Amino acid sequence: MDCCGGIDEHEDDCTDVKVKDSIDAGTVEAAKRLQSENYSAGFSTDIEMDMAPKGLSEDTIRFISAKKNEPEWLLEWRLAAYKRWLTMEEPTWAMVRYPKINYQDYYYYAAPKTGAKYESIDDVPKEILETYEKLGIPLREAEVLLGVEGAAETAATARETPRVAVDAVFDSVSVATTFRKELEKAGVIFMSISEAVHEYPDLMKKYLGTVVPQSDNFFATLNSAVFSDGTFVYVPKGVRCPMELSTYFRMNAENTGQFERTLIVCDEGAYVSYLEGCTAPMRDENQLHAAVVELVALEDAEIKYSTVQNWWPGDEDGKGGIYNFVTKRGDCRGDRSKISWTQVETGSAVTWKYPSCILRGDDSVGEFYSIAVTNGRQQADTGTKMIHLGKRTRSRIISKGISAGKSNNTYRGLVSVNKKADKARNFTQCDSLLIGDRCGAHTVPYVENRRADAQLEHEATTTKLSDDQLFYVRQRGIGEEEAVALLVNGFVREVLQELPMEFAVEAQSLLKVSLEGSVG
Amino acid sequence: MTTALRDLISNPNTAELELIARYGMQPEDPRRERLFEAFAQIGLPTRRMEAWKWTDFKAALSALDRPASQSASDPLASEEALCFRFSPDGFEYPKDLPEGINLFVKPEPQALGSAEDVPLGALAAALAGSKTRPGTLMIEVTAADLPRLHFAFSGEGEASFARVTIVVRPGAELTVSESYLGGAGFLSSVFEYSLQGDAKVSRTVYQRGAEMETMAATALVQLEGESEYTQTSLAFGAKLARLETRLVHKEAGAKATMNAAYLVGKGLHADITTHVRHGARSCVTRQMTKGAVLDGGTGVFQGKFHVPRTAGQYTDADMQHKALLLEEGAVVFAKPELEIYADDVECAHGNTCGALDANQLFYMRQRGIPERTARALLTEAFIAEAVETAGDLKDILRHVASNWLAQS
Repeated sequence: MDCCGGIDEHEDDCTDVKVKDSIDAGTVEAAKRLQSENYSAGFSTDIEMDMAPKGLSEDTIRFISAKKNEPEWLLEWRLAAYKRWLTMEEPTWAMVRYPKINYQDYYYYAAPKTGAKYESIDDVPKEILETYEKLGIPLREAEVLLGVEGAAETAATARETPRVAVDAVFDSVSVATTFRKELEKAGVIFMSISEAVHEYPDLMKKYLGTVVPQSDNFFATLNSAVFSDGTFVYVPKGVRCPMELSTYFRMNAENTGQFERTLIVCDEGAYVSYLEGCTAPMRDENQLHAAVVELVALEDAEIKYSTVQNWWPGDEDGKGGIYNFVTKRGDCRGDRSKISWTQVETGSAVTWKYPSCILRGDDSVGEFYSIAVTNGRQQADTGTKMIHLGKRTRSRIISKGISAGKSNNTYRGLVSVNKKADKARNFTQCDSLLIGDRCGAHTVPYVENRRADAQLEHEATTTKLSDDQLFYVRQRGIGEEEAVALLVNGFVREVLQELPMEFAVEAQSLLKVSLEGSVG
Repeated sequence: MTTALRDLISNPNTAELELIARYGMQPEDPRRERLFEAFAQIGLPTRRMEAWKWTDFKAALSALDRPASQSASDPLASEEALCFRFSPDGFEYPKDLPEGINLFVKPEPQALGSAEDVPLGALAAALAGSKTRPGTLMIEVTAADLPRLHFAFSGEGEASFARVTIVVRPGAELTVSESYLGGAGFLSSVFEYSLQGDAKVSRTVYQRGAEMETMAATALVQLEGESEYTQTSLAFGAKLARLETRLVHKEAGAKATMNAAYLVGKGLHADITTHVRHGARSCVTRQMTKGAVLDGGTGVFQGKFHVPRTAGQYTDADMQHKALLLEEGAVVFAKPELEIYADDVECAHGNTCGALDANQLFYMRQRGIPERTARALLTEAFIAEAVETAGDLKDILRHVASNWLAQS
């Protein structure tokens, strides 16, 4: 097999997976529930599609651009990226292994034949509405107002249930965006990126590609050439976005790649919480997903970006599944800005993803909270980069990796402190847990420090929690192991509980996972 | 032959061409050819290689036999130790050796070990000895209570290469020290240690070099039976200095302790790299690396624990790296890495980087200790933990460290 990447310990065919006694039974159960046979989003939708011819060439790019009726500058931008992509090589440094991808074997554009965007929610084809309903994402605003699937029966609970505006992306196009009008009243722009190109060309020109440049890496450059749809958010000066925003990505058509691009700009003093969810049908072929997400936070702005990634992971034998090669980066451009990434990763056959923060503004803050669970033959190489450029910038990384079945789970992170980043601060904690003796857990942290007054800490053991906290809990009569579990899990639980309910199904089941028996 | 080798290395620089020429001067030997080819496949390591991303020998080493500053003095040299001296002219060794130490000088390269796995190790093995008189030193140790073996390396203006293989038989014990003292543009050595049965080895490495010098000391260590290996290194850096240890636990119950300290001043670069493979059950590794870096200096720590499936069960391993950036302009790079395929293991790693604790400094200053002295004292105390394992040599290492701190 012609392979990319390298893991030097391959699976034999032994199917017995032994779990050591010290692993909490609830954890094993929770991990099992995430196995592929329990994948509830694996159905496909039968709907007539409009596809680009198979393969990738300049013509494909012109086709996509024409379909979206794009201005000339964007077509040129795409073509320039394509030219560069042809000269680039696929990265092999990640600890993932997969057969060589034939990029000519995919469809780079697939949209429902009835059109991309619908005037009213009533025009959205029944099949698509049903698809999202089945996934627990109601697109009808009235339903959203009443909360999720009967969760808010009374008016009182409806008021308490936070509302979520959804941009629903189906293969290569956005099919519906809810609550647009209401958001407009607050000045918040929330629409698909294809619409934004026409309606807000100046904003797009000003920000597109400024965080993840066209030439950034192999997959980001591919995305720049063929990106189809995604979400654009602009929150104006001083506005606290009145509701949670979210995009739900659904990959449906066979042999397609999804290449969405998301751009979120938070102007001075603004705040937005954005959530992204994704699922795909169970198919035997590997599907390609190469997205780019760019976040820009100006002075005093805050962006909270949460992801529940549940792409089809392939079956137990590693057949099918999504190749998830994603570039996500936030730029804390203004002073005192803050970007926080939360990710729950349970899906995809192969994950290659490092949501990062460029801490450019003075006193800016970057956060990364991650739980990655791999099962079956999944491979995840994920982590973050915290690039400290501004003065007194702070970052915090909390990562939990749980491997089960015959999977491999790698945390890869970089903390870099630039010469001008006076008094930068980072705290990193990453824990790994192996469930069974057929999987792998790996940690690859990079630290590059060019400041004497920077304070960087990296810990990877459960016993290295803050001594004060431990002491406090222990003096209340709680045993050490329990105290550690309480402190670590308590923290993660808090993060997960911030995820809006309708996307948190997978996340909630992870709450039962404990770190007892952690290997380091 | 040499034309083919030149083709192997992409865009060879002057130093690489000189290495090829030097290889051409050696007598032909298939084992040497294999070793040199292993080097030529890669050439001098560059930042494009993951394991060398912070220590780029190709960029730092433009020409081989550059006149350099005088080699440093050797604090570990002692009349009580059995001294082996290595220079570009080959090596000198004591003629009378006590019972329990058997010495073999092999003019031809040896096929044992795995020197070819590391590019600069393969190079050192292929070119070991003098330009015209190649040679590998092989030492067999069969007893305990032996005098220390001391190996001193200096270049005296010319590049030098050395290969030493030490086999410690079951029940034998050895204290060994190595001093890398610079004096040349390039110095590369490879030591292979094989510990059998319940053998014990305590190894101390001292490295000091100047701004024009590059050096690479590679050690390949294999632990069998319930053997115990303790390593303590003190590095001051050079233009580039890399102390690399690749250790394999081959049989259940082996124990390894690998501590290191680096103190790096202006224009210098010290790299401590370790790779530990837990290839057998119930083996223990303890690793503590501490560093202190001044303005214009660079400290690098790369550590990796590799715990294979099944074989590595019940591993107990801990890796810590703590660095002090004493002044603005100091740079520290670190990568403490874990690769784990066995589920019933304890592998911990920790990494911290920062300045001296302001509270501690304040406390000492209010006791009337001048800031400079207070800083030196705190740094010395910080570093001391890492050299504690050097046995009888720990006081010498502490003394050298404290002198450096007093002068900087």
